[in-house]
Amino acid sequence: MNTNPAAEVARDDSEGMDYLVSLPRRMVTVYLPILCFLIVLLFPFYWMGLTSIKPNDELIDRSLNPWWVVDPTIAHYYHLIVNTDYPVWMWNTMLVAVTATLLSIAASVMAAYAIVRIRYAGSRWVGGMIFLAYLVPPSILFIPLALVVFQYGLFDSPMALILTYPTILIPFSTWLLMGYFKSIPYELEECALIDGASRWQILTRIVLPLSVPGIISAGIFAFTLCWNEFIYALVFISSSENKTVPVAVLSELVEGDIYHWGPLMAGALLGSVPVCIVYSFFVEHYVSSMTGAVKE
Amino acid sequence: MTDDITRSVSRRAMLKGSTALAAGAAFGGAGSLVDWARAWAAESPFQPEKGASIRMLRWNRFVETEDIQFDKNIAAFTEATGVKVRLDKEFLDDIQPKAAVAANVGAGPDIIWGPMAIPHLIPDKLLDVTDVADYLGGKYGGWYESPAAYGIRDGRWMAIPLCVSGNYINYRVSQVQKAGFETFPTTTGDLMKLTKALKANGTPAGMALGRATGDGNAWCHWVVWAHGGKLVDKDGNVVINSPETAAALEYVKELYENWIPGTASWNDSNNNKAFLSGDVSYTNNGISIYAAAVRQKMEMAADIDHAFYPIGPVGRPTELQLPFMIEAFKYSKYPNACKTLLAFLMEAPQYDAWLEQSVGYFTQTLKSYESNKVWSEDPKRAVFKEACTRTLDMGYAGPLGYAAAGALADFVIVDMVSQAATGQTTVKEAMETAQKRAERYYRV
Repeated sequence: MNTNPAAEVARDDSEGMDYLVSLPRRMVTVYLPILCFLIVLLFPFYWMGLTSIKPNDELIDRSLNPWWVVDPTIAHYYHLIVNTDYPVWMWNTMLVAVTATLLSIAASVMAAYAIVRIRYAGSRWVGGMIFLAYLVPPSILFIPLALVVFQYGLFDSPMALILTYPTILIPFSTWLLMGYFKSIPYELEECALIDGASRWQILTRIVLPLSVPGIISAGIFAFTLCWNEFIYALVFISSSENKTVPVAVLSELVEGDIYHWGPLMAGALLGSVPVCIVYSFFVEHYVSSMTGAVKE
Repeated sequence: MTDDITRSVSRRAMLKGSTALAAGAAFGGAGSLVDWARAWAAESPFQPEKGASIRMLRWNRFVETEDIQFDKNIAAFTEATGVKVRLDKEFLDDIQPKAAVAANVGAGPDIIWGPMAIPHLIPDKLLDVTDVADYLGGKYGGWYESPAAYGIRDGRWMAIPLCVSGNYINYRVSQVQKAGFETFPTTTGDLMKLTKALKANGTPAGMALGRATGDGNAWCHWVVWAHGGKLVDKDGNVVINSPETAAALEYVKELYENWIPGTASWNDSNNNKAFLSGDVSYTNNGISIYAAAVRQKMEMAADIDHAFYPIGPVGRPTELQLPFMIEAFKYSKYPNACKTLLAFLMEAPQYDAWLEQSVGYFTQTLKSYESNKVWSEDPKRAVFKEACTRTLDMGYAGPLGYAAAGALADFVIVDMVSQAATGQTTVKEAMETAQKRAERYYRV
């Protein structure tokens, strides 16, 4: 009789996954769904890439196969990078997204920690109010914010976006981090308090190192929201040289009723790259943040 | 007021200007424009504030040559008056929200050139430009009635109609002739026959049924008005739910069945693309399709022509053409500089050159510019010359104002036509929905 516990577990596992053993079953239960997801997720990128390398005559010639390109060209990329301010728009977008994200995460960490860990009267109310602020659509806030932006002389400068994006990002990030901080055992902080650590030391030496996945997760969300944001960037920025990518590709590459699809798609594709890079670097932290901080 | 201002332009100034213009015409180049501009600035009834600088927002170009000439005119203004002008350009559909924000916060561009609805959405925020309008109207043969109506509110001019973008039928001559029509039909009955014949020949037509700001609004209003339907009566009561509107919607349903599939999702760009691809035999648009075909030296250009919208059962033209208004804000620190620029842009040397370079995409709003050679050098542009004389205004048959502007911006008519044509709702339901939506605006 086999009494090896490890062998038992292995046998149990193999029995549990038996339904994947045969190839047809794996096809139906694993590969086919994955393929469907991949098609849905990657098709927009395929279409953007395809359109961005099609010459103009192929773009309007419907007798050709729309799913392929006969005579690929980089003319649209050349036009985008050389004849427009696209590199400047990318720089603006990066500057705004990175700065606003850093500001928002710093503020959110302190707000979330204070609400979750420092037991003061009304902390739950403050948490609830922050959540309510998150529910207010940016499209309602842009007129009052415009007033502030104009009065501070920030109109048509990147600072207008850097200082207004946190109004969207801080409520969301705070709420996300509040949930994350709650999952860190309070006993760890009590031990530190007994050892004489201050609140600041607890935050920086215990809570933050344990919260890296959560902070990265909030940071990725914040960065992506900034990168894609449209309405504030449209309203607060006028000069071509100060625009961000989402607004600039639309306002500069659509001329009346003529849409320059090649450069538009090239701009959209290149604009997606930084977000993809950020995700690819931090995807493991991002996934682990979904499963909580410290397992008790 | 007109007379006073006109008299204030002295004979000497006009002589100086004319001499500079004549010299410029002889030698050509940008210098001529600047010379004239300097002479004009010296004696103009509108004098900018010292050290003025203004910011102007305009919509992105439809025709490249127009844009280049506009920039030249602005540069000449700066050269002549010393007023710096910062010119920003935005996607057409983004101009209205930007104007709304600027009006509400009291800061932003000094001048906006954009769609027709803007002045009636923010009338109290706009600078009174009656003196400019009177001056220009007196000097250049008067304003056409329809574009002028868009600029006037309570007896004062709040915006200047810089131009009208004509929207007409663009068609392939050979395909229409093959379908049995020597020229494009002039009645809605014949249009239906042509549409069916074109489909039978494998060369279907199509017009935008999506929320196309220009093309969708233009043809949907035309077809409803052509059958006697209207959003409001002369007192502003909503009357879209009517037998006349029902007749128009039944007509569109039949047209739609014979069009190329997919028009329900078309915006302002889709019909251009479909036409230039050779997929449709007629559509409605400005002259930009033809201009693009000429610019790209496409063989198709020779086969393109333009026609008025056919006349419906009401027996007269029922077009909706699209004026583009230029307005200055009250909050501007330099109201005189703004007025000077508005006047300058519509003076003959600038305006004639600009109209010419717009290759028919824009139609003049002042009558004396009818003689511009843009209308005679290519007969295919001829119909666009009439855009100001054949159009009704967006508030027809009621008053122009916030409600009319709001209903147009909310695509009340376009959505009704689209819903009925595609079968998304019945004709009756589509009219009832439009009635309710329009009443929300007209109750305000």
